[in-house]
Amino acid sequence: VDNQNQDSGPFSFPNGDPNDIIPDADLPFTRLKLIEDPEEETLESVHTIKAWVVDLPDPKQTIAMLKWLRTSGLDDPSLAHLKRVRKSPVTSTTSLLLSRVTSLSEPPVLPADVPLPAPYTLAVPKTAALTLSSCKVKSTLWPTMYAPRRKGELEEWERGRVRWACAAMNAVVATAREAALKGELPIAAHVPVPYASSKDQAAADHSLTREFTAHDTRTSLAHPLKHAVINVIRAVGDYRAASPSRASELTNQPPTTEIQTETDKTRNGTHYLLTSLTLFTTHEPCIMCSMALLHSRVKEVVYLYAMEKTGGCGGVACLPRLEGVNHRFGIARWRSGGGCEDLRVAEDVDA
Amino acid sequence: MAAHDSEDIEASVHLSWMRRAMQMAEEALAAQEVPVGCVFVRGGRAIAEARNRTNELRNATRHAELEAIDYILSNKDLTPEVTEYPLSDTTLYVTVEPCIMCSSALRQMGIKEVFFGCENDRFGGCGSVLGVNESLPHPKHPAYKATSGYCREEAILILRRFYITENSNAPMPKSKTNRVLKTEIKPRKGSHLSS
Repeated sequence: VDNQNQDSGPFSFPNGDPNDIIPDADLPFTRLKLIEDPEEETLESVHTIKAWVVDLPDPKQTIAMLKWLRTSGLDDPSLAHLKRVRKSPVTSTTSLLLSRVTSLSEPPVLPADVPLPAPYTLAVPKTAALTLSSCKVKSTLWPTMYAPRRKGELEEWERGRVRWACAAMNAVVATAREAALKGELPIAAHVPVPYASSKDQAAADHSLTREFTAHDTRTSLAHPLKHAVINVIRAVGDYRAASPSRASELTNQPPTTEIQTETDKTRNGTHYLLTSLTLFTTHEPCIMCSMALLHSRVKEVVYLYAMEKTGGCGGVACLPRLEGVNHRFGIARWRSGGGCEDLRVAEDVDA
Repeated sequence: MAAHDSEDIEASVHLSWMRRAMQMAEEALAAQEVPVGCVFVRGGRAIAEARNRTNELRNATRHAELEAIDYILSNKDLTPEVTEYPLSDTTLYVTVEPCIMCSSALRQMGIKEVFFGCENDRFGGCGSVLGVNESLPHPKHPAYKATSGYCREEAILILRRFYITENSNAPMPKSKTNRVLKTEIKPRKGSHLSS
């Protein structure tokens, strides 16, 4: 595990037990927090959204209405943190949560064959409760799920993984310098074989078997969109498209008990995604490339230079933080430039 | 000619280009791709038309717009010389609001203007999720205007026809047995056109 060659570049990390957990402050990069943990322990501090609610005159209607709701198309993941039914402890009225109030102000259309009063809007908690006390507070507005934070919590990095990241960063810097020699912008992207610690060795067997590297080619190809990230995603896709047997290589899927045929895997589409893979790049990807990475389900993005005015990973925008997007990836900024000042580009460049 | 007459004529021109984009979306649907189609128009002529090819190319980023842009740039008649903004005299008609990725690509290419059918609440880059076309500042690339509402109902219905079936190409296919095809479409607040 600990045989990464780090000699060939500016970045290194002290050798030692590869399984040592490295404290955050000692990591050679800082990680962006994607989700702020709001303090929502009092009623005033609870963030709310508006939702349509209908009171059920007869609690026996509940099952039929839940069944109807499933087929109504009103199901909305943005309400998944709330329970569907509320029985008021005060009035013992049974109420049903219908849908989120959107830009359309009309209430949802209820089934005509059930006698129901008109729906009304209600402020309900925007997110699940992170603590039990917050759950109690939020549930006074509407019964809320208790979900202590797991997603968004920062993953621990072992020494071996940090040394793997240093090797990847050295590779990306070397490729960027090659690009500069060819007259291209000195921007590169690199997708290494995932780091396999002793504890997830089994998963590694199902993972990517080769690395991919690309640099910017917008100058030589006279194509403003041939950015390093787009080029490396294309390389991964073309590699697998050329050979269906590589279909599952890029995914870190746990072994399944079912026997899947190659066709099934291809049809599943998992092969074209960067699921469980880390992308290293010299410069913070532009909006286009950041969204391409989100579409590709990359696990995390590590970059050397922030692009404050054009970047989509914390610069002018932070795409995995946007509400509504269907995937979030981690973002890490390298702490030191490692003496790579020659790789800087103008601040108005889309990297 | 009265002002509203010329507006009507203009609207019918946009509508006819959008119908052509819809044909590409139909082609995508037939190929079991997410049904999005587009046409790029320059000087009153369609110079490129394309559809989604994400499944075929094993690449989640091969959206219709990027397919067409690659074709335009690789064609020496359409792109005879290297310029900073190769699409500065080109208008895009696309059935669904360009996603954040494509909206950024179009701005980097200096697109003249964009017309789209329906909004994209998950990924839309022309205002729905992020205003990459206009409101998001860029130190260099000029903003472009994006107008919604041409063939909106048709664009939504074809997406519903796709999603009502099991999308076997999705990363985690979901059971859609409870789904029914809804044909009623509610108007969107703030959309520029009703048809």
